[in-house]
Amino acid sequence: MTTLAMPGTWPAAARFLTALGNEIGKGLLFAWSEKLQIAMELPFFAVFILLLGPVLGAGRQIAAGHLSWTLNSHRISLLMVAFIPAMFFYFQAVKLFWRLLGEIQAGTIEQVYLSPLPSWLVAAAGRLVAAIIETLILMGIVYGIVRAFVTLHFHWTFAALVPMAFLIITGVGYSLIIGGMTLLWKRIQLLQETMLFLVMIFAVTALPLITVPGWFTGISRVFPVTADVASLYGVMLGHRGVTGPWGTGGLVWVAVTAAAYLAAGLAAFRVLERITKARGTLANY
Amino acid sequence: MTAIAIPRTGAAEPAPRWFALRAFGNEAGKGLRLMWRHRAITITSIVMNGLMYLMIQFFIGGGHLVLPVMALTLPALSAYALASTAALQGSGGIAEEVNGGTLEQAHLSPAPPSLLVVGRLAALAVEGLIPAAVLALAFGLGYGPHWVIRPDALVPLLLTVLDALGYGLLMTALTLRVASVGAVVHVFNMAVMFFGGMLIPITLFPHGIEIFARFLPTALGTEVLNTTLAGHGLGAAWSDGTLPWLLVHVVVLAGLGWAAYLYTVRRARREGGLSPR
Repeated sequence: MTTLAMPGTWPAAARFLTALGNEIGKGLLFAWSEKLQIAMELPFFAVFILLLGPVLGAGRQIAAGHLSWTLNSHRISLLMVAFIPAMFFYFQAVKLFWRLLGEIQAGTIEQVYLSPLPSWLVAAAGRLVAAIIETLILMGIVYGIVRAFVTLHFHWTFAALVPMAFLIITGVGYSLIIGGMTLLWKRIQLLQETMLFLVMIFAVTALPLITVPGWFTGISRVFPVTADVASLYGVMLGHRGVTGPWGTGGLVWVAVTAAAYLAAGLAAFRVLERITKARGTLANY
Repeated sequence: MTAIAIPRTGAAEPAPRWFALRAFGNEAGKGLRLMWRHRAITITSIVMNGLMYLMIQFFIGGGHLVLPVMALTLPALSAYALASTAALQGSGGIAEEVNGGTLEQAHLSPAPPSLLVVGRLAALAVEGLIPAAVLALAFGLGYGPHWVIRPDALVPLLLTVLDALGYGLLMTALTLRVASVGAVVHVFNMAVMFFGGMLIPITLFPHGIEIFARFLPTALGTEVLNTTLAGHGLGAAWSDGTLPWLLVHVVVLAGLGWAAYLYTVRRARREGGLSPR
C-alpha cells in the first residue's frame, strides 16, 4: 500500500517561513557587509544629539555671537526620547530604500515576484524585519555613547514597549509607501531624505522643549513619529501611563496613526506595484 | 585573387575636439534628461528643504524666527542644497548605471573617463544649483536679510560650488568601490547640514568641533561667504585665514574626488566592477 502525503497548511506555512527567513538572512548579511559604514554613522548621531541640546531655543544668544555649550542632563534626556525613535525610523526607512533600489537596479527584485507568496510580504516584510533588528542594535549603541557623556534619567518600564511596538507598525506602513514609490519612480532619494528630516524635526515638537503655535502642533500630529514620541515621553519622563486615551501621545491617536500608516502603506504598495508591473518596469528602466 | 581595400579606421572619425564636445554633451545631456524626467521629485524636495530649514530655525529661535540667525545660516542652506544634491544624485546615478549595466556601455566609448566625468559633473552642478538658487532667492527676497552684496562675494561663491562638486564626485567614486554606500551619503549630508553652518554659524561651535567642521565640505566656503556678505570684504577673510584655507580645501577635495573617481573607474574596468557583481 502506498500513502501519499496530502499538501496541507503546514508545508505552506513552512514555505512562507523559509521565504521570510531567507529575506531576513539576506538583510542581515547586507548589514554585516556595511559594518564599516555603520561604525562611521554611530558616533555622528551621538555627537548630533549632544550638540543639539544647547542649540535649541538659543536663537538670541546665537544672534549675539555667543553660545553656552553646557550639556544639560534633562534636555539631553528629552532629546533622546525624540531622537532614538526618530533615528530608528530613519535608519529603517533609509536602509530599506537603498537595498530595495539595489535589487531593482540589479534585476533580482523580479526573482522575488516569482515566489508564490504575496509580494508585499516578501518584498517588504523580510527586509523590514532585518532592518528592525539592525536598527535596534544601532540605537542601543547610540544610547550607550550618549550616556558616556551625560547622565540620562529615564523611568524604565515595560510599558515603553507599547509605543515602540506602534512605532514599528507605523514604520512598516511608511516603509511600504517608500517601497512602492521606489518600485515606480526609482530615483526618490532626495524626497526620501527630506521627508525623513521633517519626520525627525516634527518628532521634537512632541516634547516640552519649545512653545509652538497650535496649528504647528496640529500638523506635527500627522507625521509618523510624533505621537509615539509623545507617548514615550509620558512613560519615560513624564511619569504617566500609556493607557491614557486622548491627546497627541494618547493611546487612541498612537493606535490610529499606526493603523492609518499601515493601511496607507499596504494600499500604496499594492497600487504602485501594480502600475509598475503594468508598465513592465519592475527592474528595467 | 581579389584584394579588398579596408577603409582606414581613423579616416571617418570626427575631429578630436568635436568628438570631445559630443562625448561631454552626451554625458551632461543624459544627466539633465534624467533630472527633467524626475522634475516632480526635484521640485517637491526643494519645497521640503525650505520647510525643513524654516522648522529648524523655528526651533533654534525657541518658537519664532530670529532674522539675524537666518542671515548667517542662509548661505549654508544653499551650499547644503548643492552639496547634498550633488552627492545623492551622483551616488544614486552611478549606482543605477552600475546595476543597470549601462556604465559598462558608456565606458566602451573611446572617450577617456576624465572626459565623461566632466559631463557627469556638469549635470550634477546644474541639478544642485537649481535648488540652491531657488532657496536663496526665496528666503533672500522673503526675509530680506541685511547682506552687503558686492562682486567680491562671487569668489567664495564659486569656491563653495567647486567644493560641493568635489564632495559629490568623491561620493560618486566611493559608490563605485562600495556599492552600498548610499545610506552613508545620507549621514554625510546630515554632517554637512549640522556642522556646515546651516543650523548655527560654525564660529560658535566649541573650538575642537569648529576645527573639525572646517574640514567638512562647504563649511569654510560658507564662513568666507558670510564674511563678504557682512561687508568685510575678501581682505578680512584672507587675514583671518579662512580664505587661504578655503582655497586649500577646494584644491584638496576636488583633487581627491577627481583622483578617487579615476582610480575607482580604472580599477572597476580592470576587475569587472562596472556592472553588478
